Amino acid sequence: MDLNRPALPLHNKAANKTALAATALAAALLLSACGGGVAPQGAEQAAAADPSSGANASGNVNICGVKDASGIYKGTAEAFTKANGKVTAKYTEIGATTDEARTQIVQRLEGKSTECDLFVTDVIWTSEFASQGWLLDQTKLVEANKDRLIPSTVETTKYQDKYWGSPFFTNAGLIYYQKDKVAKPETWQQLYTEAAKAPGNGFVYQGKQYEGLTVNFLEMLYSAGGEVLDDQGNVKIDSDETREVLNFMTEGLKNGSADRAVLTYNEDPARLAYESGNFGYQRNWPHVYRLLNATPLASSFAVAPLPAWEGGKASGVLGGWNLAISAHSTNQAGAVAFIDFATTPDWQKHVAMDFSQAPVNEAAYSDPGVLQKMPFATELLASVKAAKPRPISPVYPQISQAIYKNVYAVLSGTASTEDAVKKMAEEITTAKASF
Amino acid sequence: MALKTIQPGSAPPHAPSAPKTNARDRAERRLAFRMTAPSLILMALVAAVPIGYALWLSLNQYSVRTAGLSRFVGLENYINALASHEWWAAFGQTFLFAGLSVTLELILGTAMALLLNLAFKGRAVLRTVVLLPYAIVTVVSAITWQTMFQPNLGLVTNVLSALGLPGGDVVWLGEHGYAMAVIVLADVWKTTPFAALIILAGLQVISSETYEAAELDGASKWQTFLHITLPLLRPAIVLAAIFRTLDALRVFDLPFVLTRGANGTESMSMLAYTELRENRLVGEGSALSILTFLTVMVVSVIYIRFGGGNIRDVAKEEQ
Repeated sequence: MDLNRPALPLHNKAANKTALAATALAAALLLSACGGGVAPQGAEQAAAADPSSGANASGNVNICGVKDASGIYKGTAEAFTKANGKVTAKYTEIGATTDEARTQIVQRLEGKSTECDLFVTDVIWTSEFASQGWLLDQTKLVEANKDRLIPSTVETTKYQDKYWGSPFFTNAGLIYYQKDKVAKPETWQQLYTEAAKAPGNGFVYQGKQYEGLTVNFLEMLYSAGGEVLDDQGNVKIDSDETREVLNFMTEGLKNGSADRAVLTYNEDPARLAYESGNFGYQRNWPHVYRLLNATPLASSFAVAPLPAWEGGKASGVLGGWNLAISAHSTNQAGAVAFIDFATTPDWQKHVAMDFSQAPVNEAAYSDPGVLQKMPFATELLASVKAAKPRPISPVYPQISQAIYKNVYAVLSGTASTEDAVKKMAEEITTAKASF
Repeated sequence: MALKTIQPGSAPPHAPSAPKTNARDRAERRLAFRMTAPSLILMALVAAVPIGYALWLSLNQYSVRTAGLSRFVGLENYINALASHEWWAAFGQTFLFAGLSVTLELILGTAMALLLNLAFKGRAVLRTVVLLPYAIVTVVSAITWQTMFQPNLGLVTNVLSALGLPGGDVVWLGEHGYAMAVIVLADVWKTTPFAALIILAGLQVISSETYEAAELDGASKWQTFLHITLPLLRPAIVLAAIFRTLDALRVFDLPFVLTRGANGTESMSMLAYTELRENRLVGEGSALSILTFLTVMVVSVIYIRFGGGNIRDVAKEEQ
């Protein structure tokens, strides 16, 4: 959202007449003034986790995060407790939804609570939390474990050249397609052309005005060679690639490649629409595989990694969850021991086999046990390896809003590509200035 | 006022004993104040302190980088909000929603109340049953409406197509105007029973003698409704209108679930939520919350001042 937000230099204390009048008013209402000058304590001052400390750990590790729908968090905690012998682990659910869990985690971290040693964090939260000095620097730990982790998944925990978490399990988009009606997509252009050929070939994706639209848009933008921020954090969204992708998506809605109904779809409605059998392609997450298998489409659908942009490469956007150690943890050694266990190649197989999540260890994808439970593991690995993190910034929520609101405006026909791209760049710049 | 009239020794103001009475009056008032003080303090704690705190937050900017770091900016957050296109768009959209939904709810609520007031078998059961939509959590009903309006699959779109009516091929939640219509419909479905219940209570206090007198004078049903029922119902309708308008102006859950604010449905509360919760821009978000609060307050004052005239008339009559 653009509220003409100015940059925030925090050292000057404005004191004009209006401000004074307002102070008097506020002071009358309040018993005690709050806020004021607190010593800066960002990522620069953060302490580091010691990778060797896990071996001598004891006590209990409390892991906090979102409601455990797949059972993976509690399952891993139990398996860890059984395997370790010295350290016990417990999983505490602190939010029914992802948004709620974030609020709960932020509240605990702001209040310097020692309740949780480890937080399970969505990949897009890592830089925000790290920038506040809320997390322990895991650089050494990640370096020590690097050969067992898929590089793209490690990148989601990076902020200011340090690592602030360890990937636990990952996620990437896939294309589900009806092999009796349409061809396996090699490029987005081919997918869209094929989808427009017959009424039953259409493409469904997540086009509602929300985070999912940012993901769907970035998957194409990245494969077309575009980016939102460069490595130095400069805004790069105002580019030919952005215009090309936006025009491509808009054209797809006009020529029937994608049904206009995608403008109301998030994950579940997209899946339900596809299950009706009236479509050829669907972009969705891996969890849809199991659900599709329980429908009449079970024998006719196939899975492909996200396609490449014509003349470009295949790419995507990473989802998934990281393990971040709280700066206020009273059992950091225990937390390190838990991370060591959760990221072992052996346990990563269980991540796929027992809980249907995407492992962060490459070898797990070719394990026979995993392939039996997840026959699309090869395609999933291709999507994961090609994918990139979403823009890394402490103000990611604002950046994402700037993306999905403006992309939506173009797709729904209320803004021109040119205006939307300009506005997107402007809003992202403003968002970055608010940090 | 009431206290004064029942005092046994009260004298006319010009009587010589007047000063004495004034002293007693003052003592009386002090006692009254002391007795109400605990509840006044409690109300201040529960209502005034959070509002005051939000007001203070809205006069500062808080660092997203360092928790707890802030600076005083006076009215800057308000100026930025009032100068933004987003605020005025949300303002207009919220009032459009409130105007449409409350009008429909009052018309349908009155009709519903009149039906429920008739004597028929099973009336008690029906009075309970009509309240069901109101008992359903808004988010749940919003998800149900979302499914019903889904293109290709939804009940509404399928029925419209089958009957050959327009709208079957419309992506309801994906179009300007249509999206607002769905949100208004969802709200009307849910809260009309609430309006009906308040109006029904008003209907039941109208004495049957008035109707009998009208009947003897040869008034038609329509005349009776127009000249007796409606004027006597006015306080109840105004009350329902106040409740519903204040609720409607704070609408959040319906657009949040149905459209996420797309297609001209973002409300003032959604805007505040995004800044406060998603972006952690505490000062900016608080300013938007206070602006929403002020809007709602101004509207309620207008209602009480102009629409609620007979609430005061009734109070006067009782005296």
